[in-house]
Amino acid sequence: MSVTTSTGHGLGSRLAALARVVELGEGRIDPELYAEAAQLLLRAGDRLKLSPDHTVVALAGGTGSGKSSLFNAVSGLELSPIGVRRPTTARTHACVWGLDGAGSLLEWLQIQWRHRFARASALDRGESQLHGLILLDLPDHDSIRALTDTEADRLISVADLVVWVLDPQKYADASIHRRYVAEHAGHDAVTVFVLNQCDKLTPEEQAICIADLEDLLSREGVTRPRVVATSAATGKGVDSLKAVLAESVAARRAAFQRLEADLDRLMVRLAKDMPERLRVEPTIDGARRAGLADALCDAVGVPAVGEAMENVYAVRSVDWVGWPYARWAAKFRPDPLSSLKLGDVKDDIRALVGSAVSAQPAEVDNAVQALADGLAGGMPDVWRDGVRDSARSRADQLPRVLSEELSEIAPPLDRVPGWWWVLKFWQYALVLAFAAGLVWIGAILFYGVFKDGAPPAEIFGDPAALPWLGLMMASVLGLGALTAVASRNGVVLGAGKERDRLESDMRRRVAAVSQDMVVEPVERELHRYNDFYAALSTARR
Amino acid sequence: MTSPARKTERRPGPPEAGDTSTGPEQGEGAPGVEHARVDDAETPGEQTLSFPAIRDDASGAPDSEGSGDRVREVSLPEPVSEGLTAALRQLGEAVTDLHFGLDVPGADEARKAQLAVLAQLKDYVIPRVHMSTAPALIVIAGSTGAGKSTLVNTLAAQSVSATGVRRPTTSTPVLACHPDDHGWFAKGDLLGGLTRLEKPIDGKATESIVVVPTERLPQGVALLDTPDIDSVVEVHSEIAHRMLDAADLWVFVTTASRYADAPSWGLLRLAKERGARLVIVLSRVPIKSREVIVKHFGRMLDEYGLADVERFVINETKVVDGRMTDDDVVDLRMWLADLSVDEQRRAQAIQSTLNGVFNSFRSRVPALARHLETQVALRADLRSDVDAAFMGAIAEIDEATRNGSLLRGEVLARWQDFAGSGDLMRSLSLRKSKAQPQGPERLRALKAALRAGLESVITSSALRASEEVVARWRQRAGAGDRLAATPGLGRPSEELVRRAARAISGWQDHVSELIRTEGVTKRSVAKVVTFDVDSLSLIFMVGLLGYGTTELSPSRKTGSGGALPQRLLRGLLGAESLRSISAKARSDLRARIGLIFDDETLRYVDALDAAGIPDEAAATRLYQATYNLEVAR
Repeated sequence: MSVTTSTGHGLGSRLAALARVVELGEGRIDPELYAEAAQLLLRAGDRLKLSPDHTVVALAGGTGSGKSSLFNAVSGLELSPIGVRRPTTARTHACVWGLDGAGSLLEWLQIQWRHRFARASALDRGESQLHGLILLDLPDHDSIRALTDTEADRLISVADLVVWVLDPQKYADASIHRRYVAEHAGHDAVTVFVLNQCDKLTPEEQAICIADLEDLLSREGVTRPRVVATSAATGKGVDSLKAVLAESVAARRAAFQRLEADLDRLMVRLAKDMPERLRVEPTIDGARRAGLADALCDAVGVPAVGEAMENVYAVRSVDWVGWPYARWAAKFRPDPLSSLKLGDVKDDIRALVGSAVSAQPAEVDNAVQALADGLAGGMPDVWRDGVRDSARSRADQLPRVLSEELSEIAPPLDRVPGWWWVLKFWQYALVLAFAAGLVWIGAILFYGVFKDGAPPAEIFGDPAALPWLGLMMASVLGLGALTAVASRNGVVLGAGKERDRLESDMRRRVAAVSQDMVVEPVERELHRYNDFYAALSTARR
Repeated sequence: MTSPARKTERRPGPPEAGDTSTGPEQGEGAPGVEHARVDDAETPGEQTLSFPAIRDDASGAPDSEGSGDRVREVSLPEPVSEGLTAALRQLGEAVTDLHFGLDVPGADEARKAQLAVLAQLKDYVIPRVHMSTAPALIVIAGSTGAGKSTLVNTLAAQSVSATGVRRPTTSTPVLACHPDDHGWFAKGDLLGGLTRLEKPIDGKATESIVVVPTERLPQGVALLDTPDIDSVVEVHSEIAHRMLDAADLWVFVTTASRYADAPSWGLLRLAKERGARLVIVLSRVPIKSREVIVKHFGRMLDEYGLADVERFVINETKVVDGRMTDDDVVDLRMWLADLSVDEQRRAQAIQSTLNGVFNSFRSRVPALARHLETQVALRADLRSDVDAAFMGAIAEIDEATRNGSLLRGEVLARWQDFAGSGDLMRSLSLRKSKAQPQGPERLRALKAALRAGLESVITSSALRASEEVVARWRQRAGAGDRLAATPGLGRPSEELVRRAARAISGWQDHVSELIRTEGVTKRSVAKVVTFDVDSLSLIFMVGLLGYGTTELSPSRKTGSGGALPQRLLRGLLGAESLRSISAKARSDLRARIGLIFDDETLRYVDALDAAGIPDEAAATRLYQATYNLEVAR
């Protein structure tokens, strides 16, 4: 939106800030207010682009107060029809002093061609001080016709200067005061009140009337009401009104003042529920990040995975690096489960142990929620919801992504390290050696002791080798048992180390994922919050 | 007159219009009820009267003439009076009992309408029904600056009401009447709620009325000057309407520059709706344009369906001392004099307005009832939003405990640990071996993990449900929006976590107990194997919630189907026993979660209740009272 026209008084920068508020505030401010802000922005953009040399003055008021008479009196021509029937004026009439550049403005005001009048020749008659004035004679706002016609409302809300034409009968009507004057309190600089038909009052009555009107206006928040008494019928006071208009026209500032007043009014409403914390820390501190990562780790069960790995390895390693004799002996023990016909439970357990790590969705949810709750303290509810929603923006995928990410690094529990094979080979080699020893003893007994033939080699027939052989075999058995104990300890030690490494790996990965999928969206929202309220404060001035 | 016994035979609602010549009140009837014929050409003045007795009494009551106190208390025929009084009292009670707690759109209007009906009953209907031929009260109403006070002063020929250029001028109603009627208005029940004053006092504008006797007014008619209906002082409009509610005749004053104002036509519409006897005065008419204006205004009135209303025109004139000259109001004075002399016409006018008020009750009171019904309906909607959200949460929990999503994260790791480290197999041991299962810490860890998992499923679902309730409430117009802003409703209560933990450990104990008592081991198995109850119940829970297929698997060939825990349990306990324990455990869990959610729901119900519970029976009472009134008329 190109509203950065140099307007002085910072109107341009305030409107730019308002544009930012509108951009950031979608869905965060009351829709009605939002629409109004967007509309004001649009109107400001339009008005500032259109002729800055013209001042649009609207004559507004109830039916029968004499708007058209006053219009004619000011313009000096019988332009707008005057009647005794009520309501008289149904369409807006416009009179322009100095037509150059006013066409597009009148177009924007949606004044019909046949209701436009120009006072180009007015310059000749010494009315140069009104050059640049566009005077509008509005339809009334309070008759039964006005209930279905919003033309008066529309023009009252866009005119640069509004002249309220009141009369002694109607000056205290609720339809003017409640709907317009009190609403537009703060528009003092761009509002003029005219007490018309004052020819119907004696001077004393007129003084009472004006005092009463001023009192009423000040009670409604109009701090410096400009009240002019006129009589369109006798021409009294019309020159004072012209002087007031000329002053505004000459200053060429009414358009800005009007927009500023509108902006002020809008900002008062926008800033009504300003929170205590206009600025929050836009980055999530280390403690909170760590807290989130910890909670997510719990959702994946990182400590439990580590422990399980340690325990399961220790048990499974028995099958590989354990003493084979002990294993064989266990097989002979009766298995109670076999009698239950459970099928292959062991396979099931193996399959279970082989399944990958995964994240628990509900716990992930709660972890993310806890983070959002901790951050949004002191924020208005809408923004709190915004932070929550942004934290959750990718929560649907989070459990899956966590599971995938961690499956990459967490080894399956049914993994078999290479050195287990070596040890298994070693144990079987020892068993073989033991078996060979048995054969040897048998051979010595066969050849050497029972002398049942000639030994193929002398070494198989020497009974003297028997004790040594026995000793060797005992050593082989002992070696097997020792290796089994040592390697089991090795497995446990190794698993412990791997567990530590795994846990820190997993924590790192979880932290990285949470940074991507939770922390960053939340930080974006926090930035948006800060920017929004910064813009709001700027627009407020 | 219908006997009161009939009332029990009918559903509440407007009865068939016994009096078809009612004023124009449109579109208010209940569906199916043939509504009163609307006929614009028929003025209220021509309405048939349903109180013939009064008229007769009034015209032929010689004893009332000449008595010092002109208040004539002519009672109605006994049964009618009793029935009507009872019906009115019942209506008054029914309307008083109304309570619109929820701030839905229209609630403020309904509250105002309620007060207006009550005030009208008290100020006007009840006194008027009892003393129906008392002096007629003519209320003069209109815009500010229309010259109401000037008119009253002129007719009363003395400055009874202040005039001036200040707008609004009159803030306290001023009643001017003949000295003979003074007693009736000074003490009477009509407008009984207002303090009588001798002259206006500043700052006591509301709840008071000035009563001034004046010789120039004819007997039997009283003029009431009211505050305006359209100035910035909004309380004036309320007072004016209250006065109009007590009026026997409405005199509406407007001016040449005002006659097209929207508030004026609002008042005319009200008069039409109420079927009030109306007189229109167009004042401050410039002489030179009198013809055009009068014609134009006349046409507007004709188009509006007020063609037959009596009209008076007063020229723009010099006002001296708050009064016009007598010549300006000669027509009006004649009219007043006529009304004073012609008792029958006066009684007729009074009666037609009273009838109009009764007719207006026929639509105004059901309108209150309808608003009450919308409140009740809205409350039910809000309540069902809460139920729907928490039902959804229970379904979500059900789903999470069936699709295996519970068996993830820590629960899965602990279960792998428990099974993979051999504890699972060790928990089943040979009968003769005395060996205790090793590693109770793993058992405990699995149990704790399961509890934590289940807990987080419950808290997360409860959170979603709370958010959903608030989201749903926000979409309900008016009240829901405001209720949704009640702090704390957008999230679960503080105690939720504690309650959930307690419920789950309770459930876990319950499952152990079930396994202990109902898990009768198959005899063939019991011979060889014994098991540890704690471990087995834990395996059962993992099977039930983590795999969730317990109920489905038994259909397959025993021994092969199902996940590990189920097969194990089925082998130990038998399919039948397992199925029954599963069903019991699941329903127990659901019941416990249901209890937690009931506590959660209670917060929303409390919020609803705090907003005020509309009494559902009150609407029925209103219909009943309206009907009874119709019957008693």
